[in-house]
Amino acid sequence: MKIGLEVHVALPTRTKLFCACSTEETEEPNENVCPTCMGFPGSKPVLNREAVRIAKSIAFVLGCKIREKISFVRKVYFYPDLPKNFQISQLDASIGYDGEVSIKTKKIRIRRVQIEEDPAKILREKGMTLLDFNRSGVPLVEIVTEPDITSEQELRMFMHELRSILYYQGVDIDREVKADLNISLGKERVEVKNVTGIKNLIDAARYEIDRQKRIIDPGREPIKETRFYDEDEKITKSAREKEADEEYGYIYETDLTDYDTSGLVIDRGIIPSKEAKELSEKYGFDEQVLDELISLDRDAYRLIVSAAGRYDPQIIVSVVEQLKKFGEQSISEAAFEALLGVGKEVSLTREMIDKAKKGESIETSVNKENIEEKVRKYMQDNKALFEKARKDTKVQNFIIGEISRKYRFNPKQVSEIIKNMNLFK
Amino acid sequence: MEEEGYIADFNGIEKPGDYFHRLRDEIQNYNEKFHAFNFIPEKLEEGFPFSVKDNICVKGVETTASSRILSGYLPPFDATVVRRVKEKGFSFIGKTNMDEFGFGSFGINTDISARNPFDEDRVAGGSSSGAAVATALIKYHIAIAESTGGSISNPASFCGVVGFTPTYGAVSRYGLIDYANSLDKIGLMARSVKDIEFVFDIMKGKDEHDSTSVDRKIENKKSRKITVIDEMIEGVDEDIKRSFDSLLGKLETQGYKISHISLKEIGISGPVYYIISMAEASTNLAKFSGFKYGLKVEDFSLDYNTFFTNARDAFGEEAKRRIILGTFVRAASVRARYYQKALSLRALLIRKMREILKDSYILSPTMPIKAPKIKDVEKLTPVQNYMLDILTIPPNLCGFPHISFPYDYIDGLPIGAQVITDHFNDKALFSFVEDWENNFTYKFKYNLGEI
Repeated sequence: MKIGLEVHVALPTRTKLFCACSTEETEEPNENVCPTCMGFPGSKPVLNREAVRIAKSIAFVLGCKIREKISFVRKVYFYPDLPKNFQISQLDASIGYDGEVSIKTKKIRIRRVQIEEDPAKILREKGMTLLDFNRSGVPLVEIVTEPDITSEQELRMFMHELRSILYYQGVDIDREVKADLNISLGKERVEVKNVTGIKNLIDAARYEIDRQKRIIDPGREPIKETRFYDEDEKITKSAREKEADEEYGYIYETDLTDYDTSGLVIDRGIIPSKEAKELSEKYGFDEQVLDELISLDRDAYRLIVSAAGRYDPQIIVSVVEQLKKFGEQSISEAAFEALLGVGKEVSLTREMIDKAKKGESIETSVNKENIEEKVRKYMQDNKALFEKARKDTKVQNFIIGEISRKYRFNPKQVSEIIKNMNLFK
Repeated sequence: MEEEGYIADFNGIEKPGDYFHRLRDEIQNYNEKFHAFNFIPEKLEEGFPFSVKDNICVKGVETTASSRILSGYLPPFDATVVRRVKEKGFSFIGKTNMDEFGFGSFGINTDISARNPFDEDRVAGGSSSGAAVATALIKYHIAIAESTGGSISNPASFCGVVGFTPTYGAVSRYGLIDYANSLDKIGLMARSVKDIEFVFDIMKGKDEHDSTSVDRKIENKKSRKITVIDEMIEGVDEDIKRSFDSLLGKLETQGYKISHISLKEIGISGPVYYIISMAEASTNLAKFSGFKYGLKVEDFSLDYNTFFTNARDAFGEEAKRRIILGTFVRAASVRARYYQKALSLRALLIRKMREILKDSYILSPTMPIKAPKIKDVEKLTPVQNYMLDILTIPPNLCGFPHISFPYDYIDGLPIGAQVITDHFNDKALFSFVEDWENNFTYKFKYNLGEI
């Protein structure tokens, strides 16, 4: 089984790809439009530098080689949502090429990352076809994979990984994403076009894999065709078009000059799964848990990085998890640190979080008593050691370290409590 | 008075109070006969008159590129050149007739063909036919025109006016209804090169709305050398050849050194030009689908394919021909053989011509024939038709600036010569033609708006 994807992602720019219109969604249709994104005769495209910069960043985190000189092409096809009846896109001189995305089982190769413009939105109402050009000209990147995905499970993992990587570039593709799916279990390629949302994409793939299996099992061959996914019926349907190789009559878009990308400063971004792996190896986090925690949460990542290596990894994870439950992971790193001091055993309360945010002391009696109790227990078990500690600060520090580690307390707090308990005197 | 050009002259003369009112009526009257204009405004503003080829947008003024498919298109913006000229106080007097979308060499691919002011049975040339006719009719006037493969030089030559096509990129194309984006250049026609220089200085320069416009300094690197390329003389009519020889003689006595060379690559320029221009044109014409602007197909019960096909029926024959040929040459199966190959041959021709242009001008007749009769032109096959552009294509294909200027009159018809220089050396052309104008007086049969 071979599955390849073409994933279209809208870029988070303020203005459209080739004009100064806002990309914001409006209530009324056709508000953010101008002669250029309506394709009026006489208008011309002017490239949005920020869109190229973000596309370059995305190509970079997808492991692509970056082209210094990019150019654009006209992809000609006739459809009412396409104002010029050609789409300005990229082909041979796309921003990125030859990348890869790692999932657990393998690497999925990225053939190309290209910049292109979104068409208008088509609404079909009461037997009418209505066009909303607000979306026309919104910058997209198209991410084209090699057909390296070989199961539904791998498709899931890939989409999760891609979503997570793009999330750190400021795009959440969960529901927005539009993708074309190439699936072949037999000799011929079947294309499922225009699937929206990750869930639908996986459902469509599952249906299509099953459909082709049912054809192949009795010894027949699926035919080469284009299909669509029907979200309501949850099945793919033949587009019933004459099947010929797509003819887009590409030529260069000579209203745009070659564009030098070398001066564009990219957001280095991170690859969250890679980050989770590295942090785990270095500081002893549970990789799986960490991956889940940060894959779609920039704040969780920020907090974890701020404390990693200085606090017990399980305390860090526990506090972050609890903060997420309160929806408070955007707190400052200082407030986070204060909460880490409370320790693993204690459940955070709204009051504690608020105190931490205000910079107030949040040592709780529960926690203090808890530490005192554990210290006493430790003393019971290690009487000889405490004897030694009276004269030797090294041994004192050893005891504090041991207790902190064993019960995942903040060493500073343990030290203070022991001091107050006068146990080394 | 030609010392300072018509613009300086016009501004220095006291004009009667109803001058612009009368000018408008005069133009309107003569338009019945010569069809230079597709549109003339009801009322003219004060200022030196300028006309605009009908493929260049003027805000709120019907702009059709002489195509039925654009009938009723009112652009919501001014082309950059129009805005810049308006801001300097020039007065807009109308949209000039042309071959539909610029597709043609004789101005006959339009509803009513513009007529040659020297002989009404003859063509005005094309595709900027109306611009040339208006310039030959109106004394104080400058025409904003456009050339893709010779659309300024050709009618300028046939109508006996000066036609300037600038370096590609020197003038913004924002607001131009595209024919072939990598070849289209907005330029000027006038009765004196001094007026052209004056208005070019207003129009030129970087425009944020056109990424291909640049802010390069326009040079005036004069040369005393003229190169004549054998292949640009070969197919020229005998009477024009003789006349051109005597022009070379005159220039020699004026101190120019003339040399003749062969450049066989000139022969490929026609096919290369038509492949690139048609490929680009066929994509530019894709947008006309009959519901957002211009001609509107009213029947919304039709499915998209039928609706779209009905709209596209409004294209003229030549437009349809170029859509079909242009779509063919960029098809996946032949793209490398035609479109890609044409691009690399264009690059080759640019290199070859630059070698010559680095220290000399290239001079040739502008057209291989005198303005033909309309009835004769209608008999030409498309290929015969395309072959007549063979002299104007090389500089246009390569983006070199060039001027066609009148240098002789044969059988009462003007003929033009075309001088070419290197990229961004446009001002040297002005110097060259200014020298010529100091020794030669152009003839005009009409002087509308004379004071």
